[in-house]
Amino acid sequence: MKILKLAKENLDFFVAVLPAFGEVYAPIRRGKGFVFERPSRWSDVQMNYTRTMLPPKKLMLPPRETTFSFDPEKGFQDRLAEASKPMVLFGVHSYDIYGLNILDRVFAQAKYPDPYYIARRKNTAIIGVDFVPDDKHLASSMNADFVDSGFDLFLSDIGDSYLVLVGTSRGDDMVVMSNCLMQAPTEADFNEYKNRSKVRRDSYKVHLALEDLPEILEMEYHSEVWDEMGKRCLSCGSCSMVCPTCYCFDVNDEVEFGSRKGERIRSWDSCLLRTHALVAGGENFRGARSSRVKFRYYHKQRGFVAEYGRPSCVGCGRSVDVCPAEINIISVIQSIRGDRDGITGSTPASV
Amino acid sequence: MNEPKSVLIIDDDILYVKAIQTLLESSGYKVRSASNSRDGIELAKALQPDLILLDVMMSERTEGFFVLQELRRIPALSRTPVIVLSSIYSEEPIFRVDPEAGWLPANLFLAKPVDPARLLTEAERLTSGSLEEKGAPAAGRKQV
Repeated sequence: MKILKLAKENLDFFVAVLPAFGEVYAPIRRGKGFVFERPSRWSDVQMNYTRTMLPPKKLMLPPRETTFSFDPEKGFQDRLAEASKPMVLFGVHSYDIYGLNILDRVFAQAKYPDPYYIARRKNTAIIGVDFVPDDKHLASSMNADFVDSGFDLFLSDIGDSYLVLVGTSRGDDMVVMSNCLMQAPTEADFNEYKNRSKVRRDSYKVHLALEDLPEILEMEYHSEVWDEMGKRCLSCGSCSMVCPTCYCFDVNDEVEFGSRKGERIRSWDSCLLRTHALVAGGENFRGARSSRVKFRYYHKQRGFVAEYGRPSCVGCGRSVDVCPAEINIISVIQSIRGDRDGITGSTPASV
Repeated sequence: MNEPKSVLIIDDDILYVKAIQTLLESSGYKVRSASNSRDGIELAKALQPDLILLDVMMSERTEGFFVLQELRRIPALSRTPVIVLSSIYSEEPIFRVDPEAGWLPANLFLAKPVDPARLLTEAERLTSGSLEEKGAPAAGRKQV
Protein backbone atom coordinates (compact mmCIF):
# COMPACT_ATOMS: atom_id res chain seq x y z
CA MET A 1 0.00 0.00 0.00
CA LYS A 2 1.37 3.40 -1.00
CA ILE A 3 1.77 5.83 1.92
CA LEU A 4 2.12 9.59 1.47
CA LYS A 5 1.85 12.74 3.53
CA LEU A 6 -0.43 15.75 3.08
CA ALA A 7 0.13 18.97 5.05
CA LYS A 8 -3.04 20.01 6.89
CA GLU A 9 -2.68 23.54 5.55
CA ASN A 10 -3.14 22.15 2.03
CA LEU A 11 -6.17 19.99 2.73
CA ASP A 12 -8.52 22.67 1.35
CA PHE A 13 -6.66 22.55 -1.97
CA PHE A 14 -6.88 18.78 -2.02
CA VAL A 15 -10.64 18.86 -1.40
CA ALA A 16 -11.04 21.51 -4.11
CA VAL A 17 -9.91 19.06 -6.80
CA LEU A 18 -12.03 16.15 -5.56
CA PRO A 19 -15.13 17.16 -7.57
CA ALA A 20 -13.26 15.74 -10.56
CA PHE A 21 -14.21 12.37 -9.08
CA GLY A 22 -17.83 13.12 -8.21
CA GLU A 23 -20.05 15.24 -6.00
CA VAL A 24 -18.28 15.70 -2.70
CA TYR A 25 -20.04 14.87 0.57
CA ALA A 26 -18.30 15.61 3.85
CA PRO A 27 -19.17 15.89 7.53
CA ILE A 28 -20.63 19.32 8.25
CA ARG A 29 -22.29 20.67 11.37
CA ARG A 30 -26.08 20.64 11.53
CA GLY A 31 -27.53 21.93 14.80
CA LYS A 32 -25.85 20.08 17.64
CA GLY A 33 -24.81 17.19 15.43
CA PHE A 34 -23.04 16.40 12.18
CA VAL A 35 -24.29 15.20 8.81
CA PHE A 36 -22.73 14.04 5.57
CA GLU A 37 -23.67 16.82 3.19
CA ARG A 38 -22.23 18.79 0.29
CA PRO A 39 -20.11 21.55 1.80
CA SER A 40 -20.57 25.02 0.35
CA ARG A 41 -17.12 26.13 1.49
CA TRP A 42 -14.07 24.49 3.02
CA SER A 43 -14.75 25.88 6.50
CA ASP A 44 -18.03 23.90 6.55
CA VAL A 45 -16.05 20.64 6.63
CA GLN A 46 -15.55 19.26 10.13
CA MET A 47 -12.46 17.10 10.39
CA ASN A 48 -12.82 16.44 14.13
CA TYR A 49 -16.42 15.34 14.35
CA THR A 50 -17.60 12.64 16.74
CA ARG A 51 -20.14 10.85 14.56
CA THR A 52 -22.70 11.91 12.00
CA MET A 53 -26.39 11.58 12.88
CA LEU A 54 -26.95 9.18 9.98
CA PRO A 55 -24.20 6.93 8.63
CA PRO A 56 -23.03 7.10 5.01
CA LYS A 57 -25.46 4.24 4.40
CA LYS A 58 -27.96 7.00 3.58
CA LEU A 59 -26.07 7.70 0.35
CA MET A 60 -25.72 4.06 -0.72
CA LEU A 61 -29.20 2.97 0.31
CA PRO A 62 -31.26 6.17 0.46
CA PRO A 63 -34.04 6.35 3.08
CA ARG A 64 -36.52 6.49 0.23
CA GLU A 65 -35.79 5.90 -3.43
CA THR A 66 -37.64 5.20 -6.64
CA THR A 67 -36.10 2.12 -8.15
CA PHE A 68 -38.15 2.15 -11.35
CA SER A 69 -41.26 3.57 -12.93
CA PHE A 70 -43.82 1.71 -14.99
CA ASP A 71 -46.22 2.86 -17.65
CA PRO A 72 -48.44 0.74 -19.92
CA GLU A 73 -47.29 2.84 -22.89
CA LYS A 74 -43.62 3.51 -22.12
CA GLY A 75 -42.99 0.26 -20.26
CA PHE A 76 -40.43 -0.14 -17.51
CA GLN A 77 -37.77 2.49 -16.81
CA ASP A 78 -35.15 1.87 -14.18
CA ARG A 79 -33.30 4.64 -12.32
CA LEU A 80 -29.85 3.13 -12.55
CA ALA A 81 -28.44 6.18 -14.31
CA GLU A 82 -29.29 8.35 -11.29
CA ALA A 83 -27.79 5.77 -8.95
CA SER A 84 -24.58 5.75 -11.00
CA LYS A 85 -23.83 9.42 -10.39
CA PRO A 86 -20.23 9.66 -9.13
CA MET A 87 -19.78 10.76 -5.52
CA VAL A 88 -16.85 11.31 -3.18
CA LEU A 89 -17.44 10.65 0.49
CA PHE A 90 -14.80 12.61 2.34
CA GLY A 91 -14.02 12.20 6.04
CA VAL A 92 -15.51 8.79 6.77
CA HIS A 93 -14.55 7.12 10.06
CA SER A 94 -13.23 3.57 10.09
CA TYR A 95 -16.38 2.06 11.64
CA ASP A 96 -18.54 3.58 8.89
CA ILE A 97 -16.21 2.19 6.24
CA TYR A 98 -16.54 -1.15 7.99
CA GLY A 99 -20.31 -0.67 7.94
CA LEU A 100 -20.25 -0.21 4.18
CA ASN A 101 -18.04 -3.29 3.83
CA ILE A 102 -20.69 -5.24 5.75
CA LEU A 103 -23.48 -3.87 3.56
CA ASP A 104 -21.44 -5.01 0.54
CA ARG A 105 -21.79 -8.57 1.75
CA VAL A 106 -25.55 -8.23 1.85
CA PHE A 107 -26.18 -6.16 -1.27
CA ALA A 108 -23.23 -6.83 -3.56
CA GLN A 109 -21.84 -10.25 -2.70
CA ALA A 110 -24.99 -12.13 -1.76
CA LYS A 111 -27.14 -14.41 -3.86
CA TYR A 112 -29.26 -11.56 -5.21
CA PRO A 113 -27.00 -8.57 -5.92
CA ASP A 114 -28.75 -5.22 -5.73
CA PRO A 115 -27.98 -3.20 -8.89
CA TYR A 116 -28.84 0.16 -7.28
CA TYR A 117 -26.59 -0.34 -4.30
CA ILE A 118 -23.80 -1.70 -6.50
CA ALA A 119 -24.07 1.26 -8.91
CA ARG A 120 -23.72 3.74 -6.05
CA ARG A 121 -20.95 1.85 -4.33
CA LYS A 122 -18.91 1.42 -7.50
CA ASN A 123 -19.20 5.10 -8.35
CA THR A 124 -18.43 6.40 -4.87
CA ALA A 125 -14.92 7.18 -3.75
CA ILE A 126 -14.34 6.89 -0.02
CA ILE A 127 -11.79 9.03 1.78
CA GLY A 128 -11.46 7.96 5.38
CA VAL A 129 -10.18 9.97 8.31
CA ASP A 130 -9.25 8.80 11.79
CA PHE A 131 -11.02 9.99 14.93
CA VAL A 132 -10.63 10.29 18.66
CA PRO A 133 -13.21 8.06 20.37
CA ASP A 134 -15.69 9.56 22.81
CA ASP A 135 -17.47 7.78 25.65
CA LYS A 136 -19.96 6.13 23.25
CA HIS A 137 -17.64 4.75 20.61
CA LEU A 138 -16.99 1.03 20.94
CA ALA A 139 -15.37 0.44 17.56
CA SER A 140 -12.32 -1.19 19.11
CA SER A 141 -14.51 -3.84 20.76
CA MET A 142 -16.05 -4.52 17.36
CA ASN A 143 -12.67 -4.63 15.57
CA ALA A 144 -13.76 -1.64 13.51
CA ASP A 145 -11.33 0.97 14.78
CA PHE A 146 -9.02 0.27 11.86
CA VAL A 147 -9.80 -0.72 8.29
CA ASP A 148 -7.48 -2.10 5.65
CA SER A 149 -9.98 -2.08 2.79
CA GLY A 150 -13.06 -0.26 1.61
CA PHE A 151 -11.45 3.14 1.14
CA ASP A 152 -9.69 4.89 -1.72
CA LEU A 153 -7.63 7.07 0.59
CA PHE A 154 -7.38 7.14 4.37
CA LEU A 155 -6.05 10.14 6.27
CA SER A 156 -4.49 9.73 9.70
CA ASP A 157 -3.67 12.77 11.79
CA ILE A 158 0.05 13.03 12.60
CA GLY A 159 0.14 16.60 13.88
CA ASP A 160 0.74 19.19 11.17
CA SER A 161 0.03 16.64 8.44
CA TYR A 162 -2.03 13.61 7.56
CA LEU A 163 -0.49 10.30 6.68
CA VAL A 164 -2.32 9.24 3.52
CA LEU A 165 -2.90 5.54 2.83
CA VAL A 166 -3.71 4.87 -0.81
CA GLY A 167 -6.17 1.98 -0.98
CA THR A 168 -7.24 1.76 -4.63
CA SER A 169 -6.27 2.81 -8.13
CA ARG A 170 -8.95 5.51 -7.92
CA GLY A 171 -7.23 6.78 -4.80
CA ASP A 172 -4.00 6.73 -6.75
CA ASP A 173 -5.68 8.81 -9.48
CA MET A 174 -6.56 11.38 -6.81
CA VAL A 175 -2.97 11.41 -5.69
CA VAL A 176 -1.74 11.82 -9.27
CA MET A 177 -4.11 14.73 -9.87
CA SER A 178 -3.08 16.50 -6.67
CA ASN A 179 0.42 15.19 -6.54
CA CYS A 180 2.01 18.57 -5.97
CA LEU A 181 0.25 18.62 -2.59
CA MET A 182 1.57 15.26 -1.41
CA GLN A 183 4.97 14.50 0.03
CA ALA A 184 6.91 11.38 0.95
CA PRO A 185 6.60 10.63 4.69
CA THR A 186 9.64 10.39 6.91
CA GLU A 187 10.62 7.92 9.62
CA ALA A 188 9.52 10.53 12.18
CA ASP A 189 6.06 10.65 10.55
CA PHE A 190 5.71 6.88 10.88
CA ASN A 191 6.73 7.06 14.53
CA GLU A 192 4.20 9.82 15.14
CA TYR A 193 1.54 7.69 13.46
CA LYS A 194 2.36 4.74 15.72
CA ASN A 195 2.32 6.91 18.85
CA ARG A 196 -1.03 8.47 18.01
CA SER A 197 -2.46 5.11 17.03
CA LYS A 198 -1.66 3.77 20.48
CA VAL A 199 -3.09 6.82 22.22
CA ARG A 200 -6.26 6.43 20.18
CA ARG A 201 -6.59 2.75 21.04
CA ASP A 202 -6.04 3.49 24.71
CA SER A 203 -8.62 6.25 24.77
CA TYR A 204 -11.65 4.00 24.27
CA LYS A 205 -13.80 4.23 27.35
CA VAL A 206 -16.10 1.35 26.48
CA HIS A 207 -14.79 -2.20 26.20
CA LEU A 208 -17.10 -5.10 25.42
CA ALA A 209 -16.22 -8.77 25.63
CA LEU A 210 -17.78 -10.37 22.57
CA GLU A 211 -15.87 -13.63 22.22
CA ASP A 212 -18.55 -15.93 23.61
CA LEU A 213 -21.52 -13.66 22.99
CA PRO A 214 -23.22 -15.88 20.36
CA GLU A 215 -23.13 -18.77 22.85
CA ILE A 216 -24.42 -16.60 25.69
CA LEU A 217 -27.24 -15.42 23.45
CA GLU A 218 -28.04 -19.08 22.70
CA MET A 219 -28.28 -19.77 26.42
CA GLU A 220 -30.34 -16.66 27.15
CA TYR A 221 -32.93 -17.05 24.42
CA HIS A 222 -35.76 -17.36 26.98
CA SER A 223 -34.27 -14.88 29.43
CA GLU A 224 -36.63 -12.47 31.13
CA VAL A 225 -34.17 -9.75 30.13
CA TRP A 226 -35.93 -9.59 26.77
CA ASP A 227 -39.32 -9.04 28.41
CA GLU A 228 -37.87 -6.24 30.49
CA MET A 229 -36.22 -4.69 27.43
CA GLY A 230 -39.54 -5.05 25.60
CA LYS A 231 -41.34 -3.09 28.31
CA ARG A 232 -38.92 -0.20 27.89
CA CYS A 233 -38.61 -0.21 24.11
CA LEU A 234 -40.79 2.45 22.46
CA SER A 235 -40.64 0.72 19.05
CA CYS A 236 -39.54 3.99 17.49
CA GLY A 237 -36.97 2.31 15.25
CA SER A 238 -34.38 5.05 15.86
CA CYS A 239 -31.66 2.47 16.55
CA SER A 240 -32.16 0.93 13.11
CA MET A 241 -32.38 4.23 11.29
CA VAL A 242 -29.02 5.44 12.62
CA CYS A 243 -27.30 2.06 12.35
CA PRO A 244 -24.64 1.80 9.62
CA THR A 245 -25.46 -1.87 9.03
CA CYS A 246 -29.24 -2.15 9.46
CA TYR A 247 -30.58 -2.67 5.98
CA CYS A 248 -34.22 -3.77 6.20
CA PHE A 249 -36.34 -2.04 3.62
CA ASP A 250 -39.92 -2.05 2.48
CA VAL A 251 -41.10 -1.95 -1.13
CA ASN A 252 -44.32 -0.30 -2.27
CA ASP A 253 -45.80 0.40 -5.66
CA GLU A 254 -47.32 3.86 -5.82
CA VAL A 255 -49.81 3.90 -8.67
CA GLU A 256 -51.36 7.08 -10.04
CA PHE A 257 -55.10 7.39 -9.51
CA GLY A 258 -57.08 6.47 -12.60
CA SER A 259 -54.15 5.01 -14.48
CA ARG A 260 -51.77 2.09 -14.46
CA LYS A 261 -48.69 4.30 -14.30
CA GLY A 262 -46.64 4.30 -11.18
CA GLU A 263 -43.35 3.93 -9.39
CA ARG A 264 -41.77 1.31 -7.23
CA ILE A 265 -40.52 2.87 -4.02
CA ARG A 266 -38.02 1.37 -1.65
CA SER A 267 -37.87 2.87 1.84
CA TRP A 268 -36.09 2.04 5.07
CA ASP A 269 -37.87 -0.25 7.46
CA SER A 270 -36.97 -1.41 10.96
CA CYS A 271 -37.44 -4.71 12.70
CA LEU A 272 -38.39 -2.70 15.80
CA LEU A 273 -41.50 -1.28 14.16
CA ARG A 274 -44.78 -3.00 15.00
CA THR A 275 -45.67 -3.61 11.36
CA HIS A 276 -42.34 -5.16 10.40
CA ALA A 277 -43.53 -8.76 10.62
CA LEU A 278 -47.19 -8.06 9.94
CA VAL A 279 -48.48 -10.04 7.00
CA ALA A 280 -51.71 -10.27 5.01
CA GLY A 281 -54.56 -11.58 7.11
CA GLY A 282 -53.40 -9.66 10.16
CA GLU A 283 -50.91 -12.18 11.52
CA ASN A 284 -47.91 -10.54 13.17
CA PHE A 285 -44.99 -12.87 13.74
CA ARG A 286 -43.31 -10.43 16.10
CA GLY A 287 -46.20 -8.69 17.69
CA ALA A 288 -44.55 -8.39 21.08
CA ARG A 289 -42.00 -5.61 21.51
CA SER A 290 -39.75 -7.97 23.43
CA SER A 291 -39.56 -10.31 20.46
CA ARG A 292 -38.58 -7.44 18.19
CA VAL A 293 -35.84 -6.17 20.51
CA LYS A 294 -34.57 -9.71 20.86
CA PHE A 295 -34.61 -10.29 17.12
CA ARG A 296 -32.48 -7.21 16.46
CA TYR A 297 -29.75 -8.30 18.85
CA TYR A 298 -29.83 -11.93 17.74
CA HIS A 299 -29.53 -10.92 14.12
CA LYS A 300 -26.62 -8.55 14.75
CA GLN A 301 -24.69 -10.49 17.34
CA ARG A 302 -25.50 -14.09 16.55
CA GLY A 303 -27.01 -14.49 13.07
CA PHE A 304 -24.37 -12.34 11.44
CA VAL A 305 -21.57 -14.14 13.23
CA ALA A 306 -22.88 -17.48 11.94
CA GLU A 307 -23.30 -16.15 8.41
CA TYR A 308 -20.30 -13.85 8.00
CA GLY A 309 -17.99 -14.62 10.88
CA ARG A 310 -18.40 -11.30 12.72
CA PRO A 311 -21.17 -9.29 14.36
CA SER A 312 -22.71 -6.59 12.22
CA CYS A 313 -22.34 -3.96 14.95
CA VAL A 314 -19.36 -1.69 14.18
CA GLY A 315 -19.36 0.26 17.43
CA CYS A 316 -20.24 3.69 16.06
CA GLY A 317 -22.19 4.56 19.22
CA ARG A 318 -25.15 6.02 17.33
CA SER A 319 -27.76 3.77 18.95
CA VAL A 320 -26.21 4.57 22.33
CA ASP A 321 -26.73 8.19 21.42
CA VAL A 322 -30.29 8.09 20.13
CA CYS A 323 -32.30 5.43 22.00
CA PRO A 324 -34.78 7.31 24.22
CA ALA A 325 -35.13 4.20 26.42
CA GLU A 326 -31.36 3.74 26.71
CA ILE A 327 -31.48 0.28 25.21
CA ASN A 328 -28.26 -0.30 23.37
CA ILE A 329 -25.55 -2.83 22.73
CA ILE A 330 -23.84 -1.94 25.99
CA SER A 331 -26.89 -2.28 28.22
CA VAL A 332 -28.10 -5.41 26.41
CA ILE A 333 -24.80 -7.24 26.71
CA GLN A 334 -24.48 -6.20 30.32
CA SER A 335 -27.95 -7.55 31.04
CA ILE A 336 -27.64 -10.89 29.34
CA ARG A 337 -24.28 -11.43 30.97
CA GLY A 338 -26.06 -11.09 34.27
CA ASP A 339 -25.25 -7.56 35.33
CA ARG A 340 -28.65 -6.22 36.29
CA ASP A 341 -27.49 -2.61 36.16
CA GLY A 342 -27.78 -2.84 32.41
CA ILE A 343 -31.54 -2.82 32.74
CA THR A 344 -31.50 0.60 34.37
CA GLY A 345 -29.89 2.08 31.33
CA SER A 346 -26.69 3.34 32.84
CA THR A 347 -23.83 3.46 30.39
CA PRO A 348 -20.98 1.47 31.86
CA ALA A 349 -17.35 2.18 31.24
CA SER A 350 -16.50 -1.46 30.83
CA VAL A 351 -18.60 -4.57 30.32
CA MET B 1 -31.73 45.56 -31.80
CA ASN B 2 -30.28 42.67 -29.79
CA GLU B 3 -30.46 42.66 -25.99
CA PRO B 4 -27.02 43.31 -24.48
CA LYS B 5 -25.39 40.18 -23.09
CA SER B 6 -25.31 40.01 -19.32
CA VAL B 7 -22.26 39.28 -17.21
CA LEU B 8 -22.13 38.57 -13.49
CA ILE B 9 -18.84 39.18 -11.67
CA ILE B 10 -18.37 37.39 -8.33
CA ASP B 11 -15.30 38.87 -6.69
CA ASP B 12 -14.53 40.49 -3.34
CA ASP B 13 -11.96 42.91 -4.79
CA ILE B 14 -14.14 45.99 -5.31
CA LEU B 15 -11.56 47.95 -7.30
CA TYR B 16 -10.91 45.01 -9.59
CA VAL B 17 -14.65 44.56 -10.11
CA LYS B 18 -15.00 48.24 -11.02
CA ALA B 19 -12.20 48.00 -13.57
CA ILE B 20 -13.59 44.86 -15.22
CA GLN B 21 -17.12 46.24 -15.10
CA THR B 22 -16.01 49.44 -16.89
CA LEU B 23 -14.17 47.40 -19.49
CA LEU B 24 -17.14 45.15 -20.20
CA GLU B 25 -19.75 47.92 -20.14
CA SER B 26 -17.73 49.93 -22.64
CA SER B 27 -17.99 46.91 -24.92
CA GLY B 28 -21.77 46.75 -24.61
CA TYR B 29 -22.25 44.19 -21.84
CA LYS B 30 -24.75 44.62 -19.04
CA VAL B 31 -22.78 43.93 -15.87
CA ARG B 32 -23.83 43.09 -12.32
CA SER B 33 -21.55 42.09 -9.49
CA ALA B 34 -21.53 40.40 -6.10
CA SER B 35 -18.75 40.73 -3.55
CA ASN B 36 -19.29 37.40 -1.81
CA SER B 37 -20.15 33.88 -2.80
CA ARG B 38 -23.59 33.74 -1.17
CA ASP B 39 -24.82 36.91 -2.91
CA GLY B 40 -23.15 35.73 -6.10
CA ILE B 41 -25.02 32.45 -6.17
CA GLU B 42 -28.34 34.14 -5.38
CA LEU B 43 -27.77 36.77 -8.07
CA ALA B 44 -26.79 34.10 -10.58
CA LYS B 45 -30.02 32.23 -9.87
CA ALA B 46 -32.09 35.40 -10.26
CA LEU B 47 -30.33 36.86 -13.32
CA GLN B 48 -29.29 33.72 -15.17
CA PRO B 49 -26.50 35.70 -16.84
CA ASP B 50 -24.90 34.88 -20.19
CA LEU B 51 -21.47 34.74 -18.56
CA ILE B 52 -20.07 34.54 -15.02
CA LEU B 53 -16.62 35.81 -14.05
CA LEU B 54 -15.63 34.13 -10.82
CA ASP B 55 -12.83 34.85 -8.38
CA VAL B 56 -11.36 32.01 -6.29
CA MET B 57 -9.75 33.51 -3.19
CA MET B 58 -12.47 35.40 -1.38
CA SER B 59 -13.13 35.05 2.35
CA GLU B 60 -11.56 31.58 2.01
CA ARG B 61 -8.79 30.80 -0.40
CA THR B 62 -10.66 27.99 -2.19
CA GLU B 63 -14.10 29.61 -1.98
CA GLY B 64 -14.54 30.13 -5.72
CA PHE B 65 -14.01 26.42 -6.38
CA PHE B 66 -16.91 25.59 -4.06
CA VAL B 67 -19.05 28.33 -5.63
CA LEU B 68 -18.42 26.80 -9.02
CA GLN B 69 -19.59 23.40 -7.78
CA GLU B 70 -22.73 24.95 -6.37
CA LEU B 71 -23.45 26.84 -9.60
CA ARG B 72 -23.10 23.62 -11.57
CA ARG B 73 -25.62 21.88 -9.33
CA ILE B 74 -28.29 24.45 -10.23
CA PRO B 75 -29.95 23.11 -13.39
CA ALA B 76 -30.47 26.57 -14.93
CA LEU B 77 -26.78 27.39 -14.43
CA SER B 78 -25.21 24.03 -15.11
CA ARG B 79 -24.14 25.09 -18.60
CA THR B 80 -23.67 28.83 -18.07
CA PRO B 81 -20.21 29.83 -19.27
CA VAL B 82 -17.88 30.59 -16.37
CA ILE B 83 -14.44 32.16 -16.55
CA VAL B 84 -12.44 31.71 -13.38
CA LEU B 85 -10.18 34.71 -12.82
CA SER B 86 -7.64 34.23 -10.09
CA SER B 87 -4.14 34.87 -8.89
CA ILE B 88 -4.21 31.65 -6.87
CA TYR B 89 -1.26 30.16 -8.73
CA SER B 90 0.96 33.16 -8.07
CA GLU B 91 -0.20 33.79 -4.51
CA GLU B 92 -0.34 30.13 -3.46
CA PRO B 93 2.58 28.57 -5.31
CA ILE B 94 2.10 25.23 -3.54
CA PHE B 95 -1.14 24.82 -5.47
CA ARG B 96 0.09 23.72 -8.86
CA VAL B 97 -2.77 21.45 -9.94
CA ASP B 98 -3.25 22.29 -13.60
CA PRO B 99 -6.61 24.06 -14.19
CA GLU B 100 -6.67 22.36 -17.58
CA ALA B 101 -6.45 18.91 -15.99
CA GLY B 102 -10.23 18.51 -16.07
CA TRP B 103 -11.12 18.96 -12.42
CA LEU B 104 -12.38 22.54 -12.73
CA PRO B 105 -15.91 22.69 -14.20
CA ALA B 106 -15.28 26.13 -15.70
CA ASN B 107 -15.04 26.99 -19.36
CA LEU B 108 -11.82 28.86 -18.91
CA PHE B 109 -9.22 29.78 -16.31
CA LEU B 110 -7.45 33.12 -16.66
CA ALA B 111 -4.71 34.23 -14.33
CA LYS B 112 -4.97 37.68 -12.75
CA PRO B 113 -3.97 40.26 -13.81
CA VAL B 114 -5.93 39.44 -16.91
CA ASP B 115 -5.17 40.88 -20.34
CA PRO B 116 -8.22 43.10 -21.16
CA ALA B 117 -8.15 42.24 -24.87
CA ARG B 118 -8.05 38.52 -24.07
CA LEU B 119 -10.92 38.86 -21.63
CA LEU B 120 -13.08 40.66 -24.21
CA THR B 121 -12.27 38.06 -26.85
CA GLU B 122 -13.17 35.19 -24.53
CA ALA B 123 -16.32 36.96 -23.29
CA GLU B 124 -17.43 37.44 -26.88
CA ARG B 125 -16.69 33.80 -27.73
CA LEU B 126 -18.45 32.40 -24.68
CA THR B 127 -21.57 34.55 -24.97
CA SER B 128 -22.18 33.69 -28.62
CA GLY B 129 -22.26 30.53 -30.67
CA SER B 130 -23.05 26.97 -29.72
CA LEU B 131 -22.16 25.12 -26.55
CA GLU B 132 -19.56 23.15 -28.49
CA GLU B 133 -17.81 26.34 -29.57
CA LYS B 134 -17.83 27.57 -25.99
CA GLY B 135 -16.06 24.51 -24.77
CA ALA B 136 -18.65 22.99 -22.46
CA PRO B 137 -17.54 22.85 -18.83
CA ALA B 138 -15.96 19.67 -17.55
CA ALA B 139 -18.62 18.96 -14.97
CA GLY B 140 -17.96 15.25 -14.76
CA ARG B 141 -15.16 13.16 -13.42
CA LYS B 142 -11.72 13.31 -14.85
CA GLN B 143 -10.01 10.25 -16.23
CA VAL B 144 -6.39 10.58 -15.24
